Amino acid sequence: MKRIEVRLSLEVVAPLLDVVKEVSDALQGKLAAPLDIGEVDADMREFWRDELVAAQNGDIAKLLALFDKEFFSNGVIVFDADNAEPVMRACSAVRLRMREENLKGIEDETLETGNVEIDQLTEQVRRYFMCYLFLATLQELIIQHLDTLGDEEDGEGI
Amino acid sequence: MATNPHTSPVAHPETEIELHGLWRVVVLNDPVNLMSYVVMVFRKVFGFDDETARKHMMEVHEQGRSVVWTGLREKAEAYMFTLHQWHLNAIIEPDEASHGS
Repeated sequence: MKRIEVRLSLEVVAPLLDVVKEVSDALQGKLAAPLDIGEVDADMREFWRDELVAAQNGDIAKLLALFDKEFFSNGVIVFDADNAEPVMRACSAVRLRMREENLKGIEDETLETGNVEIDQLTEQVRRYFMCYLFLATLQELIIQHLDTLGDEEDGEGI
Repeated sequence: MATNPHTSPVAHPETEIELHGLWRVVVLNDPVNLMSYVVMVFRKVFGFDDETARKHMMEVHEQGRSVVWTGLREKAEAYMFTLHQWHLNAIIEPDEASHGS
């Protein structure tokens, strides 16, 4: 199967994984963002929600699985046709959850433009924000290589 | 009045639209999802070309919402579900013209 290998800085990324895990655990059984499906009856709404939560759980499992023994030995994570889309969705879910719970002190407009004064953040919020940026970087990486995932092997380091 | 015994019960889409009206799938802005991610999702879910996907993404970004699809309710709900799986903020709403308001 075609794959993209990305070498990450263990020193930079490893501490962020605790945040990813913490937020992922907090998401178990919950949707990343409030569900607005309009005029749908209660049974259908519950079914819909359960399906979304199950899909979200599966996606998050793929994200966490990126950081396996290989990553902790050489800093390499691997994207392929099997995990690329679930990982992108999981990154989105975790980022949405962070915005709802951990970064709510940051104005939406500031979050959207990315013009955050990192030095002004508390150490705790800074951890979440760095993780938020890291997950966005993963998404960008996959999007850039999405078309080639079906074509040829590739490698990149960040 | 006699009915034609050879008439088969075929579906008439125009009758279905008259009965149920058309529904719009609308994507709303959120401050979290990346522009490139939204474009990618639009291309993947609706099969848009890059230009169309970017046009809708910019509408979401600048106007707060974009109508990305219009059609029968069942399919609109299916699209909304798929967009929710991608964590986009999507709703469906009746297309006023087709509902004869």
